[in-house]
Amino acid sequence: MADIVLDHVSKSFGKVRVIDDLSLTVQSGEFIVFLGPSGSGKSTLLRMIAGLETIDRGRLLIGGRECQTVAPGQRNVAMVFQNYALYPHMTVRENMVFGLRNIGMASDEIRRRVEEAARILEMDQLLDRRPSQLSGGQRQRVAIGRAIVKEPAAFLFDEPLSNLDAALRVRTRVELAELHHRIGTTMIYVTHDQTEAMTMADRIVVLNDCRIEQVGTPMEVYTAPASRFVAGFIGSPAMNFLPVEVINSDGQALATLDDGSTIGLPPDIAGRGRLDLGVRPENVGIVGEGGMTTGKVKVVEHLGDRTIVYVVLGDGTPVTAQTGGHSQVRAGEVVGLTFDVEGARLFGTDGLAQDQAAAI
Amino acid sequence: MTPQTARRANLAGGAITILTVVCAVIWAFPLYWGIVSSLKPEDEVVRPYIELWPDTLTFEHYVHALTATQIGRWYLNSIVTAVGTTVLTILTSIFCGYALSQLRFPLRRPLYWLILASFMVPTQVLIINHFVLVANMGLLNTWAGIILPQLIHPVIIIIYKQFFDQVPKEFREAAVMDNASEWRILFKVFVPMNWGVTTALSIVVFIWSWNAFLWPFLAATKTEWMTITVGITQVNDAFGIYYARELSLAVLAGLPVALAYLLFQRQVTRAITLSAGIKG
Ligand SMILES: Nc1ncnc2c1ncn2[C@@H]1O[C@H](COP(=O)(O)OP(=O)(O)OP(=O)(O)O)[C@@H](O)[C@H]1O
Ligand SMILES: [Mg+2]
Repeated sequence: MADIVLDHVSKSFGKVRVIDDLSLTVQSGEFIVFLGPSGSGKSTLLRMIAGLETIDRGRLLIGGRECQTVAPGQRNVAMVFQNYALYPHMTVRENMVFGLRNIGMASDEIRRRVEEAARILEMDQLLDRRPSQLSGGQRQRVAIGRAIVKEPAAFLFDEPLSNLDAALRVRTRVELAELHHRIGTTMIYVTHDQTEAMTMADRIVVLNDCRIEQVGTPMEVYTAPASRFVAGFIGSPAMNFLPVEVINSDGQALATLDDGSTIGLPPDIAGRGRLDLGVRPENVGIVGEGGMTTGKVKVVEHLGDRTIVYVVLGDGTPVTAQTGGHSQVRAGEVVGLTFDVEGARLFGTDGLAQDQAAAI
Repeated sequence: MTPQTARRANLAGGAITILTVVCAVIWAFPLYWGIVSSLKPEDEVVRPYIELWPDTLTFEHYVHALTATQIGRWYLNSIVTAVGTTVLTILTSIFCGYALSQLRFPLRRPLYWLILASFMVPTQVLIINHFVLVANMGLLNTWAGIILPQLIHPVIIIIYKQFFDQVPKEFREAAVMDNASEWRILFKVFVPMNWGVTTALSIVVFIWSWNAFLWPFLAATKTEWMTITVGITQVNDAFGIYYARELSLAVLAGLPVALAYLLFQRQVTRAITLSAGIKG
């Protein structure tokens, strides 16, 4: 177990600066998830920690040891690849011991570790098979086994579940979380799937355009997104952003929508002026009469347990609402909308949440 | 498929089959003729009409070839030089292909272009140079002298490079994370992952080098250093050519290659397609 510190690291591919002066601390034993859209630098960052990409500037500390120039195999981290990269000509057992043989480990120690890993992952009966004789889920397991036998200070996963079908992905997700719980080793997990991030992470690092947008627990990034990007990226359906003018009136914060209707905001909310009001779909209510504003229903999606209603306000602003499974709303209807602004956030034109901007 | 189209497809298939059989017969006939002639007495061979089967079947030429010539020595020379050429060619090509494909070093691209370019030069053009060089090195009439110039097979390097290029980069990365040295990555991961290529290429290099004539002919001036392909040319004596005798030797010379073809048909076809893919 070890903490991992990225200290002002930079990375260029040729002339293109990809990672620029990024710092991050991963606590020992933490399950941390790098979450971001494609091309946001998740893999690059992970591979810099693994040593598969060089670090141009800055320091990398693994368990307090400076590692930016240490060979990948010597960093005491193990990586699980998206396509597993199991050596096809070796049996499962040979795959697992290859790395241990390379460092000249004694054979009883090797046997102990393989047995231990096979027990943890419940794959004794697979040990003498070739990767081609395994199902996708079993291969995934072997890839993790190959990492476990190294007893590394940290595990690095690059989208390890993306080659599995949906059901298996959910099951493996649970197993991975359980595995982390059991062995307690630091894990860094790269994904673009917010559900994986929300369900497994101790903390999520949200990346956008090779920069860190926010680091926080799943609940923090969900309830208090630091930027409009995080707010929009996490949560499905995505958060609504309503252009508003926020003013103070009698000690009350009032937001005026572009269609002229006003919404009362919590008095302590930070930010005044021309802003975007972020409201999650589950905080938008649909009422027959007496709403804060009205809009026309465009599309209704019945998902069984809930209903997603896409509404357009008078001025053309789209609003998504999420209501219970038995909603009777129909497309074409004009409905009233209420906004539960308790958890609402205001975002400035720079994309930052206003409380963040105020804090800076 | 309606019965009608099925019948038409059948007809076309039948026609193609007949055509292939005819071609095969035309191809195989000289081979058959050679073998049959080697089993005829000499006077029967030179009869001016075609006899598909010998009147008198005789093994005297084989007996002569096996007892009165240095065929045993020639076989040995052929085996040693062909095996030596094969092993060394494959080994150096593996190294070179791996370096070009997986390692990053200065002048890697120019080196690759050079190898590609050398591929355009037929070895025959260089044969005088090779001869002078090998003679100066004092290697005429040695196994090494026969082997060395035959090690130049850029096409094998290029095939290896292409196969190593196709190995997903995660395998190398996984091996690097697994603390494997460059040697172990090559011999424990890359080579075993491409065994099929190595088998196929070994067989063709073996056949090429077994059948090689021009170079061994120059490099071995003494009878006891000749390979079997060169040795065949030595059985004519002052009284002219004995066709049946020569043919029996040719059959003996071709035997190992024919066996190799029979045993490794699949790999040979694969290897030929591989090198044809590059050459074409
Ligand atoms: N070898 C490379 N050479 C040049 N640019 C690269 C290289 N690898 C990555 N990049 C660039 O770095 C940026 C980050 O890429 P990275 O692969 O880390 O993204 P990612 O978040 O892992 O995306 P994905 O979800 O698609 O895997 C991208 O703009 C990409 O084009
Ligand atoms: Mg990636």
